[in-house]
Amino acid sequence: MFIDRSMTKNVITIGKDTNILEARDLMQEHHIRHLPVVEPDGVLIGIVTDRDIRSAMPSTLQDELNCDAVDDKLREITVGRFMTPDPMTIQPAYTIQDALLLIQDKKVGAFPVVDEAGKLKGIISIRDLIRAFINVLNIGEPGMLLGILVEDKVGQLKRVVDAITEEKVSFGSVLVSRHWEEGKRAVFPYLLTNNIARIKKKLRDMGYTLLDPMDWYLDQLPKHE
Amino acid sequence: MRRTGFLYDERYLLHCTGSCHPESPERLKAAYQGIEDAGLLPELTRIHAVPAQQRWIEKVHHINYILRFEEACLLGMDELDYPDNQMCRETYDTAMLAVGGILETAKMIMEDKIDNAFCAVRPPGHHAEVNKAMGFCYFNNVAVTARYLQEAWGIERVGIVDFDVHHGNGTQHIFEYDPTVFYYSIHEHPSFAFPGTGREFEKGADAGQGYTLNTPVLPGQGDREYLDLIKRDLLPAFEFFQPEFILASTGFDAHAEDDMSDIKLSTEMFTWIMKVLMGLADKYAKGRIISVLEGGYSIQRLPELIKNHVEVMMTP
Repeated sequence: MFIDRSMTKNVITIGKDTNILEARDLMQEHHIRHLPVVEPDGVLIGIVTDRDIRSAMPSTLQDELNCDAVDDKLREITVGRFMTPDPMTIQPAYTIQDALLLIQDKKVGAFPVVDEAGKLKGIISIRDLIRAFINVLNIGEPGMLLGILVEDKVGQLKRVVDAITEEKVSFGSVLVSRHWEEGKRAVFPYLLTNNIARIKKKLRDMGYTLLDPMDWYLDQLPKHE
Repeated sequence: MRRTGFLYDERYLLHCTGSCHPESPERLKAAYQGIEDAGLLPELTRIHAVPAQQRWIEKVHHINYILRFEEACLLGMDELDYPDNQMCRETYDTAMLAVGGILETAKMIMEDKIDNAFCAVRPPGHHAEVNKAMGFCYFNNVAVTARYLQEAWGIERVGIVDFDVHHGNGTQHIFEYDPTVFYYSIHEHPSFAFPGTGREFEKGADAGQGYTLNTPVLPGQGDREYLDLIKRDLLPAFEFFQPEFILASTGFDAHAEDDMSDIKLSTEMFTWIMKVLMGLADKYAKGRIISVLEGGYSIQRLPELIKNHVEVMMTP
């Protein structure tokens, strides 16, 4: 769960003397929103986001007739003038959980990852974290999701896992979440099987309530007074 | 009455999946029983299975996978790739007979010996990927048939309709980049059902962009939603595509009494679906349609469902 496994390592970077049009084109070409600014020796000195570029550019609606002249002026604007210098960074030994909490707390879209000497090692963005979570959930593998309501007390997960394991079914992942009903939790095993009927029956026979997606659907229907 | 073919072979019962497995030989016995008890057998052209030539299977599956599957069987292994895929020593031969029987059926239609056909085969096929067995499926029966029709008989556009309650991931992936085979599937929403693919935004890729169409249906929904969604999605798609031959991946597991899913179709709805497919076949494909059995696990309901299905195919 360390971020150096999930971050993007081949980072597209720019130097501080690059002009704004080149920076914009680089982002468009690679479909990215963050460009770390580095010195020739790889030390990170700033970051440019697509929002920085947009606010540094004139409006697309203004000066439509005078585009070439505007572009000439823009070419004189270098990244060093509008980048965020000394951005918040994290180290490769940070965990995915660290990155999630930090991205939420600092309200940024990505963190450059640097080593102790300040050299850029990678970048971790919200997209990288989404990819990491698709892996964790294992939803790229064939399987199906169950929702099981359990008492909020020790040992419930073991019972569920044991019951499913006895049926020789592999787990893609298991999520546990709070449930709106007090004293209950919801367990969501993602099971790598198509052979689900007997497992549902077994869990019901053990006294568990299976969360029925139909309940959600019924909630959406218009209510007649 | 139409000249309807019926592929069934007792050797399809030899693929054993062990006790407590839903994809059991009893399913096929129930299917046959439904047709026999209704007195339909004399009206049908019986087709007997022959093993497929491997060269046709290689049009879809990687040679390494074919050999790996055969070897696993010869060694007496009891599963392939996932524990779902329980097997016995006869599984490989049975799977060859399933594909071979359907290819024979396709040939009879192209030679104008029959008009259409229902193929009661095991093992099913629509989850089988190019190099992987999945969801009780080993060879992708329908996909191999589509390739056979194209290459042996010059059919240019094959339309596949998959109304098994599970998404046919294998079939979709095999034809994802191919604009000559249209894959349409209606199934329980992948966030709630196996295999977790077949979302609305999966529409094919590159040259095949727009030649895959998925209609996911939420758990608990039934006839009314299927009716609306098939009219909304399938009908315009085939009007656009103009298939010259239709292959149906036929599953009965969306039935309300089938406990493999939470979709609640009535018995009558399956008849309606098949009437729609027959209408499409008449309109675009000179009536040429092969229905190939995929899932459907309610031993109580299968005889009636399959009888109705075949009766629709026989009706002009």
